[in-house]
Amino acid sequence: MPDKDPTPRRRIWPLRIWDWFWSPTGVISAGFLLIAGFLGGIIFWGGFHWSLELTNTEEFCTSCHTMETNLAEYRETIHYNNHSGVRAICSDCHVPHEWQYKMKAKIMAVKDVYHEVLGTISTPEKYEERRLEMAAAVWKKMKASDSRECRNCHAFEYMDFTIQETRAAENHQRALDENMTCIDCHQGIAHDLAPGYLEEYQHVVDELAGAGALSQDETDLASVRTYLDSTGN
Amino acid sequence: MLSFLDLLGTIGGAILGLPGILGVALGMTTRRWPIAAGMGGLVGLLAPFLLGGSHSTHVPITMTEYGISLLIGVLAGLTGCAIRHKGATV
Repeated sequence: MPDKDPTPRRRIWPLRIWDWFWSPTGVISAGFLLIAGFLGGIIFWGGFHWSLELTNTEEFCTSCHTMETNLAEYRETIHYNNHSGVRAICSDCHVPHEWQYKMKAKIMAVKDVYHEVLGTISTPEKYEERRLEMAAAVWKKMKASDSRECRNCHAFEYMDFTIQETRAAENHQRALDENMTCIDCHQGIAHDLAPGYLEEYQHVVDELAGAGALSQDETDLASVRTYLDSTGN
Repeated sequence: MLSFLDLLGTIGGAILGLPGILGVALGMTTRRWPIAAGMGGLVGLLAPFLLGGSHSTHVPITMTEYGISLLIGVLAGLTGCAIRHKGATV
């Protein structure tokens, strides 16, 4: 009868790494592990946050070919150039400040890379075909969040209606009284509007109301329509 | 498609947020599965209250958000407990 092989069979390398990872260390103290883990955590978190902030820059957002149209339109607006010298870049309007919503926005933005690769809006014709659909997706998020990203900079409470244009002051006061939100009127504030946008906006509001995401007074778009009709926006 | 992405984003936000990170950390403090799940679930339940919404708007937090946060908190607590079982003898 042959003797048993005294040396155990060598496991494949991923399993050896797994075993090493879970083996108790015999040469490092708990204090060393704690301090090293703490420092490693800071470095990892700093690096993660730094990388995340890099994805918030205008250069990053517009580095894809498909974002050129958006960029050109945005550069014609007051959010890009104005008398005060304050600029709102892409992430100021499209990325929430609150951590969990920021993470959500970043994860959802993966679809932009997917469509860049697919070439979904790679030509001006394709872009125009999808303009309303893309705008509606953003309007839906903004309406559902009560224009949260607008309100990171703007607030009705801080507006001095006495130094606003009469039309603006009147409409802001009405918006305040009637529980309206920024996007109800300012759909085309940074990008061009597609034909039929008002009907599409109404559809977005109806859809949100159907899902129970809006209160009754938030679904009444009569004020918006009156405002838009009066300004020809 | 967008609603699926929305769901995926909410799950990812919870994993990288308080329910996921604190849930795992609390789970690692015990070897008892129900306690780990309970602590993770509690964090998941409290996180939308503490961090949901925003400073400037008064948008109600949806049931989906609460549900996902709770689920991720429980799973994170159990993951932390599994790490304790596998990686510690005490």
